[in-house]
This record gives sequence, structure tokens and C-alpha cells, in this order.
Amino acid sequence: MASFGSKVFLLLGRTNVSGVGYRKTGNRATYATALTVNSSSTNKARGGKGSTGRRPKRGTGEPRTEKMALDQDWTSVYPAATPFRANAVPLPLRMGYPVKRGIPPEKKGNLELIKIPNFLHLTPAAIRKHCEALKPFCTEWPSALDTDAKCDELFPVKIQSTDYVSAGPSIRNPSARVVHMKVKLSSLNLDDHARKKMLKLVGDRYCKDSDILTIKTESCPLRQQNYDYAMYLLTVLYHESWKIEPWEAEKTRADMEEYSWEDSTSQKNILDTLLRINATGEGEEAEVREQLLGREEVLEYKDSVETLKNEEPSESNMLRYKEAVRKVLKVWQ
Amino acid sequence: MAAPLVVRRELFSLVNILGGISQLGPRGLGACSNHRKCSQTRFELLQRPNTFFHTAAYLSSTPFTITVTDEPDTLFQKVVVLVKAHDRAVLDSYEFFATMAAKELGITMGKVFEPPKDIERLTLLKSVHIYKKHRVQYEMRTHYRSIELLHVTGCTAQVYLEYIQRNLPEGVAMEVTKTAMEKIPDHILEPMWKDHPIDDKSSK
Repeated sequence: MASFGSKVFLLLGRTNVSGVGYRKTGNRATYATALTVNSSSTNKARGGKGSTGRRPKRGTGEPRTEKMALDQDWTSVYPAATPFRANAVPLPLRMGYPVKRGIPPEKKGNLELIKIPNFLHLTPAAIRKHCEALKPFCTEWPSALDTDAKCDELFPVKIQSTDYVSAGPSIRNPSARVVHMKVKLSSLNLDDHARKKMLKLVGDRYCKDSDILTIKTESCPLRQQNYDYAMYLLTVLYHESWKIEPWEAEKTRADMEEYSWEDSTSQKNILDTLLRINATGEGEEAEVREQLLGREEVLEYKDSVETLKNEEPSESNMLRYKEAVRKVLKVWQ
Repeated sequence: MAAPLVVRRELFSLVNILGGISQLGPRGLGACSNHRKCSQTRFELLQRPNTFFHTAAYLSSTPFTITVTDEPDTLFQKVVVLVKAHDRAVLDSYEFFATMAAKELGITMGKVFEPPKDIERLTLLKSVHIYKKHRVQYEMRTHYRSIELLHVTGCTAQVYLEYIQRNLPEGVAMEVTKTAMEKIPDHILEPMWKDHPIDDKSSK
């Protein structure tokens, strides 16, 4: 057949359809311009309307917006995400930067309106329709777990993971494999020794203020694997912390987590000082020591020293220590 | 009270539902900008007769099967949806859509707020060769919107998130952070050494 190449039509849709039909017979290029170009060879083959071979240009007709009723179903006009069509949206929109002493351009042929994503397919009526259909697939939250406290009590282990959605060459995101597991240590069955050992094993992963142990796993390539690894770590930590090893008996004062006043140099010092002050020589030393320990000022001194060592030093702590020392040594000034 | 068992419902096909409700036509499909679902929906819809277009009879003709399994549902204490885009107006519309969808599906919402935007700036040479003193600057602005959902079950979360993500506009990215709650596993309730004591020496 003769080349079809230069025969063009106004509407894009037409061009595509006719292109398909004639594709088999040789190379041709379909152009979409608003002009009709004369083609000599196809006249006889077509037997077109006019003797000159030119198809009369079809007018565009009135836009669809004129025929739209006021109470039409908009969800059928824009059922899915589609670019903006000026002939199908009955709104007097204007968009664009106005030229000097002008107004924003109208919606007909406006590229700005076509470029920006529109939400015409997601009007409240459409959302309601969609949600009505989706409702049967949803489940209710159990009513007994209304407060966070109840949730924490019954379900103390929290697993946090992130999903990523973006456009690109690949839908995968390697950061999606990270899993954070958070547990409150108070909800685990640990005794005193087990708790201290667990804290030593875990180190930085524990937050003292909120009593939450966070285990972050990202070493495995898949999220399920990381989750299993996190649960495995928790299990191992728990059972290891209950184990009592023989070398744990060698724990010295320096390994203790908290400062305790009993049998400390501070106790020895204060008792020696008090003994020397009240050097009467009556009774056994041990009895006198016990007597001294039971005294109110000594107990207050013990409290102040412990708070100073265990908590962060502050004005009030120092003042308390000063007062306690004064009372113990009976220095009134 | 014992932990309630919430049965899990399998999603038959969200595409079918959306296709049915929105009455997708071939025209709408051809211009579909969402590449993920395009090929899938086209195949399914070509099989449906065009006579059912724009009629309510379409819905009732294809019943959607809901299968209920005994597998306990996951419980999410918090689901945080963070959307990122270059346009604030697009995020405003999307936020309206997401919040309305959550309300219609009966999901309790936490905070809905706008984290401050990030601007990434580059300074490049204006000319191809020499002219070091003349540069041109570009910037990329990323606006954020955060929507927090509280106390969502696994099924509801799956339905809501799939709905939200299918209607994500072009050029918008999303990050979903889910915090699932679980009970303490059975093997951590009691230490295993109680039955088989290893050492009886004191610790300190």
C-alpha cells in the first residue's frame, strides 16, 4: 500500500487507532499536529469525501461540562486517578502566574493544572463509598485494652518496624529490615541478682529513666529474620542473667552498681572519730560500735552519704550532708 | 482478663473492590498514573462486560468472599504514617483524604501535624568551562506530614494502609512505622535453671 505517513487528524485518539491498523504495511510515521497535509497517493485508495482528498476538519463541539447535571454522580466522572481534563471539570479554575497586569490563565490547555496531582477522584462521596466497601475487611480493637497501661501490662513486648513506599527503579528499601524490640524490665520475671546481671550484659541498650530495654537488630537481610534474632537475644539474655557462675563470687566493692554504706571506709571513719571523741573505755568496742550505729545522727549521716554517692551531686544533697556532719560531730555554729 | 483472640480476615482482593466501586473504565485505566496497579487491573477488567459500566448492578453481581481464620490478629499500639512531597498543597489534600478515610473506617487518630520542611541546596558552576565566580544555586524542598493512628488491629491496618498507598499521588513518598504489641513469649516466663540448678554459690 502507499505510504500513509502524512495523513493526520486532529484528535490524538484517532491517530493511535489508525496507526495500529496500517502498521503492517511498511514504515510510517504518525504525527499529531493540528494541520491537515495533502497527500496525493492515498486519494484513490481512500475514496474520501471531498474530491480534493481533504477530510473536512471536525469541530470540537461544546465541552462536556455544559451537559453535566447539577446532581450528577461525580464518582463516575472521575472514578480513578486521571490527569486534569478541562472539558470534564465544571469548575471555573484559573492557575498560573499572571503576566503583567493580567490574571492567571484559564483552565483550557493549562499545563500547570495537568502537571499537579489532583484529588478529583477522592471527593468525600468517593471516600465514603470506598470505605463502605472496605468495612467488612476490618476488625475491631478489643474493648478491654482501652488504656496504654492495660496494653503494657498484658502485652509488654513492643516490636517496631518501618515500611517505605516511594517511586523509583525498585520498590525495595534496605532500611525496611530494621527491627526495634522494646521491653520494660519490670515486666520480666527477674530477681535482684538477675536484674543486675542483665543490666551489665545489656549495657547501653537500657534506659534508666523509662526502664525500657531496646534491642535493635539489623544484621539479617530480612525483617522476619531480624525479629527472630531479637527474640532469640531476649531469651538468651533472660536465661543467662538467672545463671550464677562460680566466678561471680569474686565480685568486689568496685564492681557494685550502687554504693552501700555498710562496711565502707566512710562507716569506719565515722565510727573511729566518734569513738575517739567519746573515749571512755567502758564496754567492748563492738558493743559501743553497734550502739553508735543505732544513733539517729549516724543514720542521717549514712543517708546523706548514700544519696551523694548514688545520685547526681546537687545543692540540696550537699547541704544535707553538711547538716548531717554537723549533727554527728556536734559542731553548732 | 485473658488476652482476647481477634480472628484474622484475609483480604480477598482490594483491587476487585476498588474496581467495582469506582467503576473503572478502560479510558480511566489508560491514563492511570499509578504504575503499580495498572497492569493488574487492566487484565481483570478486560474480562468484565462493558454493559455493567456505571450501574449499581455490578456490585451485587460479584460477591467478595471474606475468609475468617483462627490465627490471632496482630495488635498495633501505634501506626505512624509520614508522607513526604515537594508540594505542601498536595500534602494538605492527602491529609484530608487520609483523615477522612480513617474516620470512616472507625480508626482512632492521634496527632496529625506537620514536621518542619527540609531544604537541600546545591551550588554549581554556571558555565561549562571556567568562570568560577559565577555560580547557580538549586534547592530541593521536602515537606512532611505525619498522621498517627492509635489502637489498630492488623487487619484494619492492612486495609487502611493498602487503601492509602494505592491512592498515593505521584511524587509523594511514605514511611509507615508500626509498633506492634506482643506478650512475653512462653520460654521467658520462668528461668530454665530452676529445675536444673547449675551453681548454688552466692553471687556476691
